[in-house]
Amino acid sequence: MLSKIKNLFISFFSSLKLTIVLLLIIAIVSILGTVIPQGVDVSGKIESDLVNTCKFLQLFDVYHSLWFILLMVLLSLNLIVCSLKTAPAAWKLYSIIPSPDRKKPFENLPLDRTLRLQKDKDQVIGIVKNILSKKYKRFRKKDSDEITFMYGEKGAFSHFGIYIIHMSILIIIAGAIVGSLMGFEGIMNIPEGESSNIARLVRHNKVKKFDFTVRCDAFSIEYYSNGMPKEYRSSLSFIKDNKVAYQGPLLVNHPITFQDIRFYQASYGKMPGGKALLTVKKDDENPNQLTAMQNDSFHFKEEDAAITIKRVEKNFMNIGPAVLIAVQASDANFTFWVIKNLSRLKSQIPGLFEKFPKFDPGSFKPYNFTLTKIEDTYYTGIQLSYDPGVSIVAAGSFIIIIGIFVTFFSSHKKIWVRVEGEGEQVKLSVAGTSSKDPVALQREIHNILKNIKNELGEA
Amino acid sequence: MIINTVLLSWVTFVYFLSSIFYILKLVTGKQLPGIIATYISLFGIIVQTIALILRWIESYKLGFGHAPLSNLYESLIFFAWVIVFLYLIIEWRIKSRKLGAFIIPFAFIAMAFASFSPNVKSRIQPLIPALQSNWLISHVISSFLGYAAFTIAFGLALMYFLKGDEREREKGFFPRILPSKDILDELSYQSIVMGFIFLTLGIITGSVWAYSAWGSYWSWDPKETWSLITWLIYATILHSRFVRGWRGKRMAIMSMIGFASVLFTYFGVNYLPGLHSYF
Repeated sequence: MLSKIKNLFISFFSSLKLTIVLLLIIAIVSILGTVIPQGVDVSGKIESDLVNTCKFLQLFDVYHSLWFILLMVLLSLNLIVCSLKTAPAAWKLYSIIPSPDRKKPFENLPLDRTLRLQKDKDQVIGIVKNILSKKYKRFRKKDSDEITFMYGEKGAFSHFGIYIIHMSILIIIAGAIVGSLMGFEGIMNIPEGESSNIARLVRHNKVKKFDFTVRCDAFSIEYYSNGMPKEYRSSLSFIKDNKVAYQGPLLVNHPITFQDIRFYQASYGKMPGGKALLTVKKDDENPNQLTAMQNDSFHFKEEDAAITIKRVEKNFMNIGPAVLIAVQASDANFTFWVIKNLSRLKSQIPGLFEKFPKFDPGSFKPYNFTLTKIEDTYYTGIQLSYDPGVSIVAAGSFIIIIGIFVTFFSSHKKIWVRVEGEGEQVKLSVAGTSSKDPVALQREIHNILKNIKNELGEA
Repeated sequence: MIINTVLLSWVTFVYFLSSIFYILKLVTGKQLPGIIATYISLFGIIVQTIALILRWIESYKLGFGHAPLSNLYESLIFFAWVIVFLYLIIEWRIKSRKLGAFIIPFAFIAMAFASFSPNVKSRIQPLIPALQSNWLISHVISSFLGYAAFTIAFGLALMYFLKGDEREREKGFFPRILPSKDILDELSYQSIVMGFIFLTLGIITGSVWAYSAWGSYWSWDPKETWSLITWLIYATILHSRFVRGWRGKRMAIMSMIGFASVLFTYFGVNYLPGLHSYF
């Protein structure tokens, strides 16, 4: 009973039909994944039977669904069982060296594969032996009464090419599994000047907290003259134990690796509001520059007062950039606007400060504020990933290239040579077989014949 | 217009002319039109190579030098170049000019699409940050060698179908003029193997690139997925031939399905949302 099940298992998983069916199913499922939007959160948005069915079948995340993994498992089993079943035969083809005195290769031999030489037989045998044993590591010689047989072969390893390819595919699948089980992918959006130690994970709707902090010191975009983006650059600092452990620019195509986690420049965006450049002047003293974002606060010691930037507006009531400042002093709480285009507004509306006292930038005495400009501030969108399977996948990719070269560009060539006396002459015949490349075999045989003729001085 | 695009639009006509002469050769069975066709193709590919080099130099003059492999226009031009290049090698190796009539027209179509479609912009554009990578050249070259080899296999499959029944050699027009089915089958198999190897290399170089640009060596982007689908289809073809010994008509049908997948990987994917939008 048990052996029956075992046989059934082997015959099921070693069938090529299964391979073809699996490859085609994986192809079709992959097509589904490119047509149905992937990775979208549909919960609670649209409720219909179709959507629910798709959800149940995990069609919104096909490539990570249980049954896609099942397909991969089946394919792997198929590969393993097939390989194990056919490997002994391949090993035989590789390891068994046929006897030199076979007749079959010489049947129907083309005429140009036979030479008739006016030479000493032993001299001919010596030369052929020399050439073949140099050319082939696997060389055999056999003497019978009248005839000397020699055999050489190369490329026996080509029988393993297909196993190398299949093994490399298993390695790649294994690497992908390691990556999906032990790795993670996340996103961090960090505004300029701020830091974060939390990433939102792409899958499973979770967050991950790190034992280090990423600070975005600056973000900049450079454009070509035609307006196309040329470079996205985030200046990042990685801070651990209150010390900067690494500092450097993050650019597209130039990720940063920190503690085995790779950080990528993925996106960016503008922060609401912006960065206001203000000048504060007190009487005749030199003015001070102030860079402020919304909700920033500044303390004024002499007056024992604090100001808070309540709003940063790029276009306030169609009169241009403006900042709303709130003053909290011991004796008063009030707000006022600092408007960039104040002089223009003043000329348009005579007696502006009487009508709108809130537009007086000197409201907080004895200071006078001016707004130089409002700059955009950005957040940088960093993608990060930790994938311990990468080196395995890379090794698999490398091996698959080797396997392809062995499979398609090498062939097992076997060469037989027969030397016999024929009256006064010596008759020499060269025959051969190739596992798949008859053209290369022909070239090989012609080269051997040419070498023999050269050595004998008959070229 | 800049000189390189003018040259390239002329090359379109050169390949058209070459197609005509290959067809003439096939129909009449005479040597002369075939020889003319070969020389026209050689002339075309030389001019095209010069134009591509000029375009490369031009991009440096514009201040953002990069290989001419960075948008749909440039990829179509390169596609045509590879088809002609591979075809001329095949012609030289098999010493027959009968296949040109079913292969060079594809180069003409790609060139015509690049030069005359209003949706394909021929301007040299700078590289967006994602494309600024040393992997661009190796990825595009191996992918397009793959695409071109599959295109040739498709042309051969077409010929195989038109050839029909070889025993009716005397009756039909196509059975008389086309090469034997064995030759078509063998060449189409070899083209598929070449295409498969280069597609594999294209996918590998692409995932190495993605690993440094997108944060993952594989992110199921539609282009990635479709290249995998194409790879699976051709893997199926190779398995059915190796193990089950499928030949002839079945191979030709599957080669056509594979080519449809190639076309979708190349063009169709642009209509799906994804990261490869610049190609």
